[in-house]
Order: sequence, then C-alpha cells, then structure tokens
Amino acid sequence: MTAQGLDFQVSPELRADLKKWRTRSLAIGIFGALSSVAGLLISPFQFYHSYLWAYLFVVALAVGPLAWLMLQYVTGGAWGVIIRRPCEAAARTLPLVALMFLPILIGIRNLYEWSHPARVLADEALRHKQPYLNVPFFLVRTAIYFAGWWFLGWYLNRCSAREDSEGHAAVHGKMSAISGPGLIFWGLSVTFMSIDWVLSLHPEWFSTMFGLLFMASQGLTSMAFLIALMVLLYYRRPMSDILTPRHLHDLGKFLLALVMVWAYFSFCQFLIIWAGNLPEEIPWYIARLNHGWQYVALALVIGHFALPFSLLLSRDLKRNFKLLASIAVFILCMRLVDLYWLVAPDFRKESFGLSWMDFTAPMGLIGIWLAYFLYQLEKRPLLPPNHPHLEEVLEHGRE
Amino acid sequence: MADEPNVHQPKTDIAPGYTFGTVTDQIASVVLTRRTPFFWYAAFGAGLVLLLLFLLAVGVLFVKGTGIWGLRTPVMWGFAITNFVWWIGIGHAGTLISAILLLLNQRWRNSINRFAEAMTLFAVACAGMFPVLHLGRPWLAYWLFPYPNTMGVQPNFRSPLVWDVFAVSTYATVSLMFWFVGLMPDLATLRDRTHNRLARFAYGILAMGWRGSARHWSVYETATLLLAGLATPLVLSVHTVVSFDFTIAIVPGWHTTFLPPYFVAGAIYSGFAMVLALAIPLRSIYGLQGLITDRHLDNSAKVMLATGLIVAYAYILETFSAWYGGNTYEQAMVWHRMTGPYAVSYWSLMLCNILAPQALWFKRVRSKPVFLFISAIVVLVGMWLERYVIIVSSLAQDFLPSSWSIFQATRWDWATYIGTIGLFLFLFFLFIRLLPMISIFEVRTLLPSAKVEEEAES
Repeated sequence: MTAQGLDFQVSPELRADLKKWRTRSLAIGIFGALSSVAGLLISPFQFYHSYLWAYLFVVALAVGPLAWLMLQYVTGGAWGVIIRRPCEAAARTLPLVALMFLPILIGIRNLYEWSHPARVLADEALRHKQPYLNVPFFLVRTAIYFAGWWFLGWYLNRCSAREDSEGHAAVHGKMSAISGPGLIFWGLSVTFMSIDWVLSLHPEWFSTMFGLLFMASQGLTSMAFLIALMVLLYYRRPMSDILTPRHLHDLGKFLLALVMVWAYFSFCQFLIIWAGNLPEEIPWYIARLNHGWQYVALALVIGHFALPFSLLLSRDLKRNFKLLASIAVFILCMRLVDLYWLVAPDFRKESFGLSWMDFTAPMGLIGIWLAYFLYQLEKRPLLPPNHPHLEEVLEHGRE
Repeated sequence: MADEPNVHQPKTDIAPGYTFGTVTDQIASVVLTRRTPFFWYAAFGAGLVLLLLFLLAVGVLFVKGTGIWGLRTPVMWGFAITNFVWWIGIGHAGTLISAILLLLNQRWRNSINRFAEAMTLFAVACAGMFPVLHLGRPWLAYWLFPYPNTMGVQPNFRSPLVWDVFAVSTYATVSLMFWFVGLMPDLATLRDRTHNRLARFAYGILAMGWRGSARHWSVYETATLLLAGLATPLVLSVHTVVSFDFTIAIVPGWHTTFLPPYFVAGAIYSGFAMVLALAIPLRSIYGLQGLITDRHLDNSAKVMLATGLIVAYAYILETFSAWYGGNTYEQAMVWHRMTGPYAVSYWSLMLCNILAPQALWFKRVRSKPVFLFISAIVVLVGMWLERYVIIVSSLAQDFLPSSWSIFQATRWDWATYIGTIGLFLFLFFLFIRLLPMISIFEVRTLLPSAKVEEEAES
C-alpha cells in the first residue's frame, strides 16, 4: 500500500462519529457550564476555585500539543507525522481557551491574595513581590502568553495548510525554523504561567522546579489525550488503514517517559523541600500532606506513577490499542487529581473536601473545549498528504 | 535548525562507498597495522607528563594533608568537589549516547558510542579520585561503605554523600560492563587479524571465546538491551544524587528545587562538548571523516545547544527566584556572585555557557569543525567555572559575615586538577592505541548491504 493509494480525508463514517461525539460533549459541556453558572450565584468563591483548576487542565490540552508539534518539526520522526493534525487542531482551539480565561480575570480577587491592595500593604512579603504580582502586569503577562501561543499555532497551521495546497516546497524549512525559538517561548511561557496562575496562590512559597513540573504535566496530559484520540480514530477510515501497533508503541514510549519525568520532578521537589525543612518552603507541603490531603498525595504516588509506570513497561501493552487507551484515560483522570491537589489545598486549609462545582466546572470546560476541538479536527485531512517522508512514516508502521 | 526534518532514519549514517571489508580495515588498522602518527605520541606524552604531575601532587598531599589545597573554613569544598562534579558530568554524554540513543533507535550513534563510552569510564575514574583524596585519610575510604564492623558504626543513610558512594560506584560498574560487552565482538576481530602472537593472546583472552555464532549474537543483543535499560536511569540518577549533595544542605545558592534536572542537563552539555573536543581532532588525524561524519558533529552540536538552553533557563530562574522568593540570603548570594570576589568567574561562565554557544544556532557554525571544536572547549571551561562558582561562592559568603572567607586556589589545587586531565589523556590515548576506537561491527550494521531490521525496543 502506498501513500498515493490512500485518502486522508475524514471519511463519511468518521464524520458521523465525530458529529455524535461532538454533540455529546457539547451537551455535557453546556450542562456543566450552566450548573457552574448557578454555582456562581450560590458561592462565587467556590466557583472561581473550581474553575481555575479545571481551566488549567484545558490549557494543558491546548498548549501541550503545541510543544509536541514544534518538537517533531525540530527532531523529525514518524511519531510526529502521525499526531501532527490533532496537534494542529488543538492549537486552533487557543482563541477559545483564551476566551475561557475571562472568568478568572473577573474573579481575580476571589483567587489571588496579592490582587487586594489592602492586603499587599499589610504584608511585607507581598509588598516585596508587588512589582511582579500586581493586576496590570499579571494581565500583560497573560496577554503575552496567549498572543505567543496563538501566533505559534496560527503560523504552524498556516504553513501546514500551504503544504497541503501548494506542496511541501512552498513551506520547506519554515516550520522547523520557527519551532526552535518557539520551543524556548513555550518553555518560558509555561514556566511563568505556572508561577502566575498557580504558584502565586500561595504567594510566600516558591519552587524553581514548578515550571519544569508544569511543562512535564502539559506534555503528559496532551500525550495521554492524543493517544486516547488516536485509538478512537483508529476504528474508522482513514486511520484504520494507517495506524499500526508500531506507531502506537512510539507514542506509548513517550507516555512512559513522561510518567517517569513527572515522578522525577515531583519527587526531587518534595525531597529537597522536606530535607531542607525551611519555614518559607515547608508550609506548602504541610498543607498538602495533612487534613485528609495526604490520601490524595498517596493516590497520586500510586495512580500517577507506580501503576501506569509498571504497566507501561510492557511492550505488548504499548502495542495494544484498547489497553494503552485505557491507561491514557486513567492518566488523564490522575492529571485532574494532581491539579486539584496543587490548587485546592490553598482554599481548603482546614480539611480535604470536594464541592459539586469541582465536578461541574471540569465537565463544562472540557466538554465545550472537546466539542470545539472535534469541530476543528474534521476540517483537515488526518495526515499531511504532501509530507515529503510520508511513505517512510507509513512504512515505519509496517516494519 | 532550519534544515529539513529527518523523518525516520536517513540512509546515510556514514559516508557512501564503504563495504564490510573497508570498515573493518580502516578501524582495525589504527590499532594493528598503521604507523602510529606523531600526534598520538605528542598527546600521549603530554598525558604522561601531566599524570606524573598528578602523582607528585597526590604524593605531597599524602605526606602533608589537605592543607596544601586552598581549603579554609568555611570553604571546605574547593577544587576537589568542583572537579568531581565536572568530571562526572562529562561522563554522562557517553552513557546517553550508548544507552539512551540505543533505546531510541538513533543508529547514527554507532560510530561514536565506543569512544564516548571510553570517555565515560575515564572521566568517572578521574572523578572518583577527588572525593577519596578529599577525605584527608584516603586509606580509610572503605568507611564510606556500610560494611559490618566491630564498632557497629554505619554511615548516615540520610546523607546524600552516602548516596553518592552508591550512585557513582554503580555507574562506574555498569559503564564498564556496557563498554566491555560492546567490545567483545571487536576484540575477536582484532584477535583474528593481528599477526603479533602476544597481541593475539591478549585479545583472545579478552574476547572470551567470541566466535560470532548466531547464538553468541542473540545473547549479545539481549545483554546489550538489558544493560542499556540499566544504564538509562543512571544518566539521570548519578547527577541527580550529585546535585542532592548541594540541595539537601540549606546553603543559599545550593538549596533550590530544580537543581537535579539542571545538573543533569549541565552534565550532558559538558559531556557532548567533550565528545566533540575528542572526535574532531581524532577524525582528522586518523582520516575517519567517512565514519564520524559532519552529521555526527552537527547532531552533537544540536544536543549541546539544547542542553545549553536548559542551563540558561536555570540561570534565569535562579535569579528570578532569588528576588521573588524574598529570602535575604538568597538575594545576597546572587548579588555576591554577580559583583563579589567571584564576579569574574561568574561573568566568564555566563559568557562561555550562555552567550558563546548561541552561535550553534547557525548551520554555518555547526558545519565547520574548527568552530565546533572551539565552542566545545569554551563550554568545557564554562561548565567547570559554573561548578566552581556554585560551590565556592555559596560557601565563601553564607549566613554570617563574620565567618566569610575567600577561597584562593593554591598551586597544588591546580596541579591535582590538571593532573587528572593528564590521567584522562593518558588513559584515552592508550585506549586509542590498543582498542578499536569505533565499534567495527556496529558501524557495519549501518551499511546499506546490512539491511537487516534490528529491533532495539524498550
């Protein structure tokens, strides 16, 4: 079978499926959004907190694929061509994700202590950080993150579209040329995003590992999502003619590597702070390892590391579509738990707890985002038809 | 990085025109038949002279004690630990090339892995000298191990210094095994080709009866994959544990959470610099441009650039966090580094580690071996300075100004350090002379006529 003999357009049966999934996720999304809005009227405080951590998950789904996209342009490799179109579709959702930031903007006073001028005046530590942690500068930085992400996504998508219409020669070298600097921007923006949106919830605390941890988390979230998506697509043409266990195996290796990287970063951060036991550092962990939160931490050790790690070591499992997809979905659930553990203890200092809004907010955000993502996905062929090495990529799977 | 993405593996990992026979001839002839070039005598001689300097320095150290070094309270970790961290970091590139790139099916590694692994071994040997010499009573080095003794004394397992003992000794063992297992088929080739009876005897013993049967190869492949799997976590763990030596202490400038990955990136950075610094002269002296191609140099330069950017990220974050964290001592530490007695070292390291390597973005720089060689040396200097600044400046000016004291390296500090460079050169050129510096059989698998699909999967 050659690349010429294949049609990468979304097939009619897949289109029907995509429509079905889109309607369902939109329904769940609207339900979640409406009940969350009801929650906003009941308890704005709770609403914004639930919204923030659910939003971080959606950001990872949209911004993480940007890194994969640029990484594959820089390094090459068959794995990158296979996931290129879903990554591009995710990057095209960035305007929606930027729009979804608005509630955080509106509720900024409910979230960040440093946004209250009176409290900043009263607290010496906050006063010291005021040149960085203040509302106008926070907005400027957020605007820079979104502008940069949007530009990278737009540019790469445009090149890709030109490759489809005019052939590869028209864009030769352009994508990899922007991807190198683009990755630097991605790394720095994700770092400072994590500082601004998450770390500053507890303004006394700082950890230099935090940015790296968020980069790994975004990579892991998006890779797990992409794997689950590829397996879903596999049951319909064109992917059923293209995707092989070997392609999936490559993606599974990334998943395993990122599970390990996440654990490595998390453990190093914990060990160093635990051993140092300094008054400005340890309170962050005390809040997260007491009052019921320790069970969440334990669940993370087992569910976010030990279990997926030991399962993903198996070569056969990484080549089994259904099993790998189930692990990917499980990891996505653990990502939600991890984000909750990072964000919520700053609001629930007395004990672990969940509000019903902690369920409706992710439902609303993820549902709406997913519907939009699927809408974007079906617009373009699922593989780049004019990619110069497409033949080899397909061959790679059959070796 | 504006070149075309290499999707899948391109067919030309080595220059065209080679056959099984010419590959073997060219690599084996360096050891067996060719006249040893003058360059070899010069480099080996320089290594030998510096090794003698090392022996002298160590002799004086044993007689007089560590007081001959510039160590004074509070700077008790001067050159010794700087050099230890520097050397062990250099070793990491060898393991990365041999283990991680093997697991990732990056087959271009096949012509540089042998000498990179040798580099690892010798760098670890140099690194291992320093903590032992630094003990003051090196003959009691075995106290570091938790052996059963009548005094019932055990090392403190909460101390990262003890973790270091295990991490480094494991690393040395696995690296040695990996290297030796990989050498066996080539040792057998040398055994079969040499006309010297003594050499045949020696290679014959080392080849451990390798006959190249299908069974041998099958066992060999399994062993390599297992060793690669074992060695991969070591790339991360060794330098992580080394970084714990610093982070677990609460000294300003040491105690920061990203130090483990930052140290690992720095290690790979300096290691690839050393790979380039060795490969570029070697390939031109021995005419191996067809095997260690421009593509190898280009890829190594790209790895250097990427890890260098991670290191740059660390400097940015370190400075930002010192201000943002609001800790007076952290702020003072950064200020002292930038303007204090070590300012020259600090700014030189910024120049060597961050500014200069940005030239590697340009294809034109990466395609000129001379430029690459210079940037590799610059990075090696930069990474040494980095460890020096981290270790010495944090200790010299810590919490109490009354106990501050500036570290001044003595000539014995320099003699010991330069001496280990001699030890490294001595061992490395011995290796070049006696063993095939490029893996013969692995390069043969890169030839178009060897289109046998080998699967190296995790």
